[in-house]
Amino acid sequence: MTVLEVNNVTGGYTRKPVLHDLSFSIGKGELVGIIGLNGAGKSTTIKHVIGTMNATKGEILLNGKTLKEDPALYRSSFSYIPETPVLYDELTLLEHMQLTAMAYNLEESIFKARLESLLKEFRMEKRLNWFPTHFSKGMRQKIMIMCAFLVSPSLYIIDEPFVGLDPLGIQSLLNQMQARKEEGASVLMSTHILATAEKYCDRILLLHNGKIRAQGTMEDLRAAFQMPNATLDDLYIEMTKEQQNEQFA
Amino acid sequence: MNNLREVWSKRFVYYINELQKYMKYIVSGHIAIVFVFVIGAAGYSYSEWLKTAPLDFPVFLLVAFLLSLTITISTPVTLMKNADSVYFLPLETKLDEYFKPALKWTYFSTVFVSALVFVVSIPMLTKLSGLIKNEILFLFLLILVLKYWSMQVEYSYRFAENGKFVWVDRFVRFVLLFTGLFFLLTGSYVLAIAIACICVMYLVVWKKKMKEVAFPFDHFINVEQSRMMRFYRFANYFTDVPHIRGMTKRRKLLNFVYKFVPYKQENAQLYLVLRTFIRTDDYFYLWVRLTALAMLGAIFIPIPIVAIIFTGALAFATVIQLKHALLSGFEFRMDLLFPIDSNARLLAVKKLLRMFQFVQVVFVLIGIVIQGQFTLLMLLVPVFVLVVSELTLRMSK
Repeated sequence: MTVLEVNNVTGGYTRKPVLHDLSFSIGKGELVGIIGLNGAGKSTTIKHVIGTMNATKGEILLNGKTLKEDPALYRSSFSYIPETPVLYDELTLLEHMQLTAMAYNLEESIFKARLESLLKEFRMEKRLNWFPTHFSKGMRQKIMIMCAFLVSPSLYIIDEPFVGLDPLGIQSLLNQMQARKEEGASVLMSTHILATAEKYCDRILLLHNGKIRAQGTMEDLRAAFQMPNATLDDLYIEMTKEQQNEQFA
Repeated sequence: MNNLREVWSKRFVYYINELQKYMKYIVSGHIAIVFVFVIGAAGYSYSEWLKTAPLDFPVFLLVAFLLSLTITISTPVTLMKNADSVYFLPLETKLDEYFKPALKWTYFSTVFVSALVFVVSIPMLTKLSGLIKNEILFLFLLILVLKYWSMQVEYSYRFAENGKFVWVDRFVRFVLLFTGLFFLLTGSYVLAIAIACICVMYLVVWKKKMKEVAFPFDHFINVEQSRMMRFYRFANYFTDVPHIRGMTKRRKLLNFVYKFVPYKQENAQLYLVLRTFIRTDDYFYLWVRLTALAMLGAIFIPIPIVAIIFTGALAFATVIQLKHALLSGFEFRMDLLFPIDSNARLLAVKKLLRMFQFVQVVFVLIGIVIQGQFTLLMLLVPVFVLVVSELTLRMSK
């Protein structure tokens, strides 16, 4: 069963598109990594999926509906962790969580139970009444992660999740992703930490200049680059070389 | 980046342009007109007072006090930026090139305050204390020198001590200036010279200490940032300043208000907007200021029709500004992704403003009770506040 379907999407910030005819899909319970150089279009792809940017061509379906067809269903079908934490300076950690729970119509008793376990997992129990200005970058990122995992949508969209997190935080995040996957949720994750991507992702999309250069399991990618036994790092570097060759050509 | 003098010049031009940009709004604003009247009225009463002032008025004490105060405050204007702590680091030995013009500007941009105070005091000094022309001229030149000394000390002190306890240094300088000036004015020249010697020594000590430490980038950057913030905040009273980032405070006393918003999906935006409004200084103090003014109007304006226009205008200003402030903003916020109605924010803002305008009405009503004029017309004042608030809420974009 397909959760997310991106069909022939072209789009960008100005008239000059960043994404060219992009197509991919994510099935139920799948963890898909989106990998590419700076400026390849990873964040732009994510912005199109969450609906803050509109495609000039093509369509994006989440649980079979576009954002226009059913905004409430579309929006409640995913939760999003942005690359840089976006927090309200005027809300405490507890209030960020409570606001999210209210907005996603979570029952209060469920909210309380999940809050407790998330706080414990991310070691933030003692900071419930703190404002974000007193948090480090990693702690701010943890608030975003906890808000995202407070609700249980069918798709988690995570942009560069590991930057700024301490090793325990990274482990907690991976635990959460694994647990949700087992419950049937899907994850779309963009990252530069290739070893982690290789280890945890079911499938990988290699994005290059707004197009998908290759996609599939590690085996599929190795075949596409004709590099048996290569790690994701090797493949990534190979793609960089291709780009350099293009530039010098 | 190698020529720090050039860096200063570029920043200076930008800074002056920035000042000019906002001064335009400040000078043309309504508060500027009020200032002109206040200054005019103050000048007139001062000249009238001089005619009848008692001869035993402590002129020297007052002048020494005011001059010392204005000379003491000499915060350096460095125009430093956050990134300087990284980019200026390799140039630490050449920083003089940057700070010489910076201190020059600090001097000329602040010395005029002391000079102005002195010029205003001249009639008092000549008329009541009988100072002659040459004495006045000498004093004027002395003030120019003292300001230079004060500024150099403050800069060296902040440099040497990383800005810690700067008020202690300020207090010392104030005491030195005050006693020195007072002794000079009252003719105790020996004591005045003694104080002058202490002043020189005080400067030498800090100049020496300053050479022993590394340049405290963070301190000077913080000083500069808060100085610019004060300017922007002031300018923000006249026009919208994009540099103003909303400062927030918890305001624990108002926590009880949040209980009025129960845990429900429909209330998500109200939950957020209520906290944004109460905890963001800009929004909350705007409402407090205008509500206080409306209440003062209700207390002190005895003519009902004038009170109605006055409080009505304030209600209009409150609603239109807060509605705009709470609904604008182009930055990405997480609530834009919430699976709730896209109209929810607007509805929440309306609900919030209705709540707080009702409170404004209560304050106006209290004002009327204090005035004690219970005529029908006077009781129409709060009704008008409500009506104007509601109409503004409905009809504004």
